[in-house]
Amino acid sequence: MKRFEKITIKAMALLLSVFALESTVLAQGNPTLSDAEVASAAVTANQIDIDFAAIAKEKSKDTQILEFARTMANDHQAVIDQAVALTEKLSVTPKDNAVSKQLKADAEKTKAQLRAKSGKAFDKAYIDNEVAYHTAVISAVKDLLIPETENAELKDLLTSVVPALEAHLEHAKMIQQKMSKK
Amino acid sequence: MMTPMLVAMHRVLFPCALLLLTGFPTLQERPATKTHRLEIVRMKFSPSNLSVQPGDTVVFINLDMVTHDVTEASGKTWKSPPLAAKSSWKKVMKTSASYYCSFHPVMKGTITVK
Repeated sequence: MKRFEKITIKAMALLLSVFALESTVLAQGNPTLSDAEVASAAVTANQIDIDFAAIAKEKSKDTQILEFARTMANDHQAVIDQAVALTEKLSVTPKDNAVSKQLKADAEKTKAQLRAKSGKAFDKAYIDNEVAYHTAVISAVKDLLIPETENAELKDLLTSVVPALEAHLEHAKMIQQKMSKK
Repeated sequence: MMTPMLVAMHRVLFPCALLLLTGFPTLQERPATKTHRLEIVRMKFSPSNLSVQPGDTVVFINLDMVTHDVTEASGKTWKSPPLAAKSSWKKVMKTSASYYCSFHPVMKGTITVK
């Protein structure tokens, strides 16, 4: 029960951070993020999960964690490749902004927390974070990035990424559930 | 009394005549095999439940941007290679099977061979 509470608190903290970002951005009127800034936030969000996967590869010995991390690295890299190809086609240069900066700052804290753990404690912290992170990113993409995007192709790309994020979330929850039964 | 020549002709012609009269039943009764298109799109197999005839071919086409595969549920009988974006893989179906994507185990489907 305590474990569940910790996960919930962490997930809520992440969600609140994303909601705070959304509120800040939306309070300034639309559109507050340019497509260049949306592209930057999207690439940053994907790169962060690749970084989490790299830490898992380094620290975990659990087959299902390693396989999940490999899939995360490959899938999020595929999204980045698509986003970069599209920004090049549209002659848009991804531009750092409040959302991408906040994502990076939060990720640095999480990476430090993950690196401080080992063994089963690491596996649990990694998969708990994957559940919380994907929950937060799905919300940010649906409620912030997609509505803020003007270019139809970029909007389509972001929309097509959502099912992959949702599948990752379900997969992470599946592993989380299996681990809680061990 | 039939001569050897007549006997030989009888042996060849009789089965031919029989085939003509019956209209090649063995060929007519066997329906032609079909090829079914099964798309992998938006992290789902579509259609996720497919019915085919024995010997039909199912072509799996990955329309997503991420790599998928098609793995028989027990993981023991058959598995496709990794299917990168826009690539495809085909399998002749002889028996019914449940399958999933081993990279994304929440993606599942069934093929029923009737």
